[in-house]
Amino acid sequence: MSAKSRLNNFKSFIKKPHNIILIVLFVVLGYLTLVPLMTIIVDTFSVHSSEARFVKQPVGSFTLYHWNKMFASGVTSQKTFYEPFLNTMVVAFLSCVMAIAVGGFFAWTVTRTNIRCKGFISTVFVFPYIMPAWTLAMAWLNFFRNSRVGGAPGLFTVFTGIETANWFAYGLFPIVIVQGLHYAPFAYILIGGILRNMDANLEEAAMLLHANRWQITRKITLPIVKPALLSTFLLVFSSTMSAFAVPAFLGSPVRYQVLTTQMFRTLNGMNPGYGYIMALIMIVIGVGILMLNQWITGRRKSYTTITGKSSNISLFNLRKARTPLTIVLVTVLVMVAILPLFSFALESFIMAPGNYSFSNFTTEFWIGAGRADIANSEPGILRNPSIWLGLTNSLKLSVIVSLIAGTVGMLAGYSIAKRRGSKLSTWVNNLTFFPYLMPSMAFGAIFLSMFAVRRGFIPALYGSFWLLVIVGSVKYLPFASRSGINAMLQLSGEIEEAGTIMGIGWFKRMTRIIFPIQKTTFISGYLLPFISCMRELSLFILLVSPSTRILTTLLFQYNEKGWNQYANAINLMIVVIVVSFNLIVNKLTGASIDKGIGTN
Amino acid sequence: MPKIELKHVTKRFGKFLAVDDLNMIIDDRAFVTLLGPSGCGKTTTLRMIAGLETPTEGIITINDKIVFSSEDGIDIPPDKRDVGFLFQNYALWPHMTVYKNIAFGLENLKWSKDDINKRVVELLDMLKIAEFSHRYPSELSGGQQQRVAIARTLATGPKALFMDEPLSNLDAKLRMEMRTELKRLHRETDSTFVYVTHDQLEAMTLSSRVCLMKNGYMQQYAPPLDVYRRPINTFTADFVGSPNINLIHGSVESVSPLVFSLPGDIKLGFDPIEKMNLEVGQKIILGIRPEHVAIAEDASMVEATILSSLPSGMETIVQLKMGDSHLHSVIFGDLDFDVEKKVGLAFTSGKFNLFDEESTNNLGQGRLKKA
Repeated sequence: MSAKSRLNNFKSFIKKPHNIILIVLFVVLGYLTLVPLMTIIVDTFSVHSSEARFVKQPVGSFTLYHWNKMFASGVTSQKTFYEPFLNTMVVAFLSCVMAIAVGGFFAWTVTRTNIRCKGFISTVFVFPYIMPAWTLAMAWLNFFRNSRVGGAPGLFTVFTGIETANWFAYGLFPIVIVQGLHYAPFAYILIGGILRNMDANLEEAAMLLHANRWQITRKITLPIVKPALLSTFLLVFSSTMSAFAVPAFLGSPVRYQVLTTQMFRTLNGMNPGYGYIMALIMIVIGVGILMLNQWITGRRKSYTTITGKSSNISLFNLRKARTPLTIVLVTVLVMVAILPLFSFALESFIMAPGNYSFSNFTTEFWIGAGRADIANSEPGILRNPSIWLGLTNSLKLSVIVSLIAGTVGMLAGYSIAKRRGSKLSTWVNNLTFFPYLMPSMAFGAIFLSMFAVRRGFIPALYGSFWLLVIVGSVKYLPFASRSGINAMLQLSGEIEEAGTIMGIGWFKRMTRIIFPIQKTTFISGYLLPFISCMRELSLFILLVSPSTRILTTLLFQYNEKGWNQYANAINLMIVVIVVSFNLIVNKLTGASIDKGIGTN
Repeated sequence: MPKIELKHVTKRFGKFLAVDDLNMIIDDRAFVTLLGPSGCGKTTTLRMIAGLETPTEGIITINDKIVFSSEDGIDIPPDKRDVGFLFQNYALWPHMTVYKNIAFGLENLKWSKDDINKRVVELLDMLKIAEFSHRYPSELSGGQQQRVAIARTLATGPKALFMDEPLSNLDAKLRMEMRTELKRLHRETDSTFVYVTHDQLEAMTLSSRVCLMKNGYMQQYAPPLDVYRRPINTFTADFVGSPNINLIHGSVESVSPLVFSLPGDIKLGFDPIEKMNLEVGQKIILGIRPEHVAIAEDASMVEATILSSLPSGMETIVQLKMGDSHLHSVIFGDLDFDVEKKVGLAFTSGKFNLFDEESTNNLGQGRLKKA
């Protein structure tokens, strides 16, 4: 090829907007994801200032100290790594099983039986996923904490007089229940999506060939849903593995440690090197899971695109079980999705925890001016300037992050879909998904160390609001880019080409043709980052400074101080904001979170 | 032997009436086609006979055994009706190999391994797909998937086989091939076929009887050539035949001799071959099949102008303007015609159907002559 034609090739490559987007994303995301990864690796081998005394080497020099301590130092390794690691795996595995069992059962019941109240069930069932993960954890404590560990007894003990056992109130059991319920909607959306799109003819064909209900379920439906089940399992596994808030709330009272809680201790304390190793291990597991998932969905028998006339699915007649089962499911939903909110409201009006008599009710924690004898004269929620600051920060942060992540994700989806199959597109696709696999806290920690100092033209960002914005935008990009890719893949390329031929410019094509057609999916790409950001704790917990504190970190602080009523009140506030925002957007635009995570 | 009978079968989806008071007898070993435009209720009818859909009202009997009766609350499940069903998109199970797909029904009937193997091999050979037996459906072409689906349906030897537009996903050449195949299978399997299609050519070429449906109503139920020769109304006349029948609106000018006045001051005489009651001034529609329009220089009945000529080798479709009406003619042989040329038309061969404009019903047949 002559130099001239090579130049011309380059010119025509650069003329296409999607190529420019891909290159820009490649550079920026490469910097914001791969550099942190390298930093993590380097950090595990270098001496940190807080450790210089033990290691007896200058700060920043090469050392195997952390690796050695973590893996090959007898009891220390056992306590700091092996035990939490094992706990993490057990928690993640059992939570997955729980999530899939609950979510799958609800999905099957709603799509395949003649159960009543389908609308109510499918609306309310996603609440636990929209609400912050610790919502249920706090509710659990409100109900079941016992006086041996938790001080004041919970509602259950007060009303029944039965003291809950430690294993029931804290540690593995409630963590699995709470995480399982939190991720059950995820399973519900993925499995329900497959069941809904599955061609009913496949089941009818089996019925005509003399298979009974049970045989059809076992030999036809389950095998077809299996890849989705596995995908769900893997995705939920990687999410629960890196979850911090729930184990922190439910595990720490009985010192039940998992990798994330250990990471928080070490990153926040004397041994960041340990934390980075744990982060690295979680990233490796995450990448492994992603590869496994791609291998499973890409195999010979793969049948990701099952479509057909499924309008006339013959529903399984529950007969006499119809009404009882409806009542059971609705009751479970009310207990999981609605009752917690009441418990927050209730707890926030109680003066002395554990005493639910009428005289103990107070509005002090909402509108009080602050009394010297409780909580260091902290004023009530609605008169508390630091809460208002947190609320404004949270909203501001979530809106900006969702705008950035949503828009970048949409452009990324557009460009990736346009150039599907090319190397560049595959790279950018993986880069946009990579933040999903990074444990939030480690991600936060890395950005903290990366941007604490001036980097090229980027000023030192420590304590700055913009640091939170960058971290949030990168972390939630996967959600938005998934929606973007989905939206674009559903859209035939000819639609845009028709515009190109008529001489309509790129910007106008995007805003006047592509966006309006796939509006709901794109808006879902904005919705998910907003909701995630509103309820995020572990990503920001290491990054906030007093002036940039947000609601979730405030809640965590109050909870650590044991100011239960404040924590409950803030939690109620977050849940109400997130849930109502989701419902409003859903009603106005038709966008919903399941459109965002629908086909990970 | 499986005779299928439908009595007063009605199906409503909410307020929408999908099938309205359908009465039909499908004889043993017949090849019946349910034909009609999309949304006419043909698929619903088929699914009701198979038991995949529950009728709102009516009685369905297969082999003189009532399988559904709204009165008596009988509803025998599909697997007990001894019927096979071929789905439009084949509905092959993606997680099973070709062999497994075919063997599935036999396994459910608790056949022994050896018997299953023998039967599957027999079917694989019959449909010429033996080499694919260990492939998954996603690794087959459309035509091969189609054959697997047929083999799977035939495996259990159902006495009645229902097919829902089975050829609509195939390309033209394969469709032609599969049509021959289906006719062969019908003869070899000795069973009753009920076939849904919107393609009149398929219905004409395959079936022993056609049931033409429109908006949930049965329009005509007769052997295909009877429908072609003597359509019961303008809808069935128009639906069958390609190019479409020429339906020319006009009115009765005089009764004896019978003369029609057609748009553009055209007059044509009509010799009824059966008794019909017409009045002067009555609005009529004259049905003329394209192959009965002959282009002739002399002895012509009327004058016309050629609008277009579409030669395809074996035949040429000519569009003509006769007075103020347009009509198609099919001329056999590799001929071409000059556009705009004035020619004479003769309607000497064939019988012509006369329809009432108001009711669109067939009034009777006759021959056309010069007025």
